[in-house]
Amino acid sequence: MRTERVGKYLIAVSAILVLLTTYLAIFYVPLPATSVRSANDILSSLDGNSITVVGFIVDLKVTPPPGLDASERINFTLADFSDYQRYRGAISDGVLEEGWWTVRPLDVLAFTGGWTGPYLGGILSNGTNVSVTGVVTAGAVGPNSAATGFHIGVSGSRNVDIGTSAAEFSIMTAPVAQKIFYFHMPSAWICYLAFFVTLLSSVFYLKTRNPKYDRWAFSAAELGVLFATLAILTGPIWAKQEWGVYWRWQDTKLTTTFVLWLVYIGYLMLRASMQEPGARARVAAVYGIVGFVTVPMSLLSSRIAPLLRSGHPQVIATSSGGLSPESGLTVGIAVVAFTVLFITMLIKRVEVAESEEELEELKREVGGEA
Amino acid sequence: MSSSWTALYVAYSIVWVGVFVYLAYLHLRQRRVDRDIRTLREEVLRHGK
Repeated sequence: MRTERVGKYLIAVSAILVLLTTYLAIFYVPLPATSVRSANDILSSLDGNSITVVGFIVDLKVTPPPGLDASERINFTLADFSDYQRYRGAISDGVLEEGWWTVRPLDVLAFTGGWTGPYLGGILSNGTNVSVTGVVTAGAVGPNSAATGFHIGVSGSRNVDIGTSAAEFSIMTAPVAQKIFYFHMPSAWICYLAFFVTLLSSVFYLKTRNPKYDRWAFSAAELGVLFATLAILTGPIWAKQEWGVYWRWQDTKLTTTFVLWLVYIGYLMLRASMQEPGARARVAAVYGIVGFVTVPMSLLSSRIAPLLRSGHPQVIATSSGGLSPESGLTVGIAVVAFTVLFITMLIKRVEVAESEEELEELKREVGGEA
Repeated sequence: MSSSWTALYVAYSIVWVGVFVYLAYLHLRQRRVDRDIRTLREEVLRHGK
């Protein structure tokens, strides 16, 4: 009875905290920037250059600037849209016109071909909220347009610097949709936490063979799948607004998270397919431990983006220029809210599992005596 | 209302509905199991076991 009351209090607290998160996210956190045209609009408005958009890859081909060998055909691969958005902070700051590509393509850009990688080096490694100083190791030539504040400095050193401050890159194509982050990120965090609980419980089960750890393991896994589903559903809604498409299979973050989701659905299906409790718990525990390898894969895939391609924003920036105070507060409350919610749901789920086991045992007893 | 706001509310609704539908499912499941346990115990008592 007492645990029931605690459960009700926890549910009430969770609901209040999630409501508070919703309120703060919608009304308290300011929009990152005024809405701007989508990247697609900008790109399609360009003329005079050959631009090919394949998925998120932008191939910009411009005529070589005067003085360059005409045989040096410009072939500029501009990472993907999610990177592209960061450049647009300069536009919102008014230091660049929207048509900056067309206004000064020759003045600003001139890259020879021969890219060794599709990314502008350094952009992704610096994350979403930090100033961007890219160093492109591929050949780069052309004049410097530093006066704009947004410059692709192309000097004799063949290094390319992009951007001068974090503020320039804080804009997003869909600033309203960015608020999805306050529900998406905590959902993802809880799914990682839940699978970690599954890992720990599985280890403890194998060590002690105490069925209570098995209950915790699969209860956490079930909740992990629930929250992973929520993260996987909300992420594409944001992506459609920000990137222009719901999903991109070439993005390691998205793909590894999808694999993670499948792996734990497999865990639940495996359990459902086994009848004998002891064998089920043992096999599930091993699966719960081995399956956990997908968690760091998903978690770290956007952090090692230069090696593994991902345009997914990094939540925890490693350099300056992190979240605004309002965003930080809201994220903090959201994480606490979802964590309390998870604990509440986990306790409730374990209680249900205990009751179900009690029922099974009772049935066995009655069946055995009959 | 722009499509961005619609997207935002759709996303929030998915999370809210997802969480509370799951909680309701747990609640119903618990109620059913409790009822089964009670029924089984009553039957055992009735049959003198």
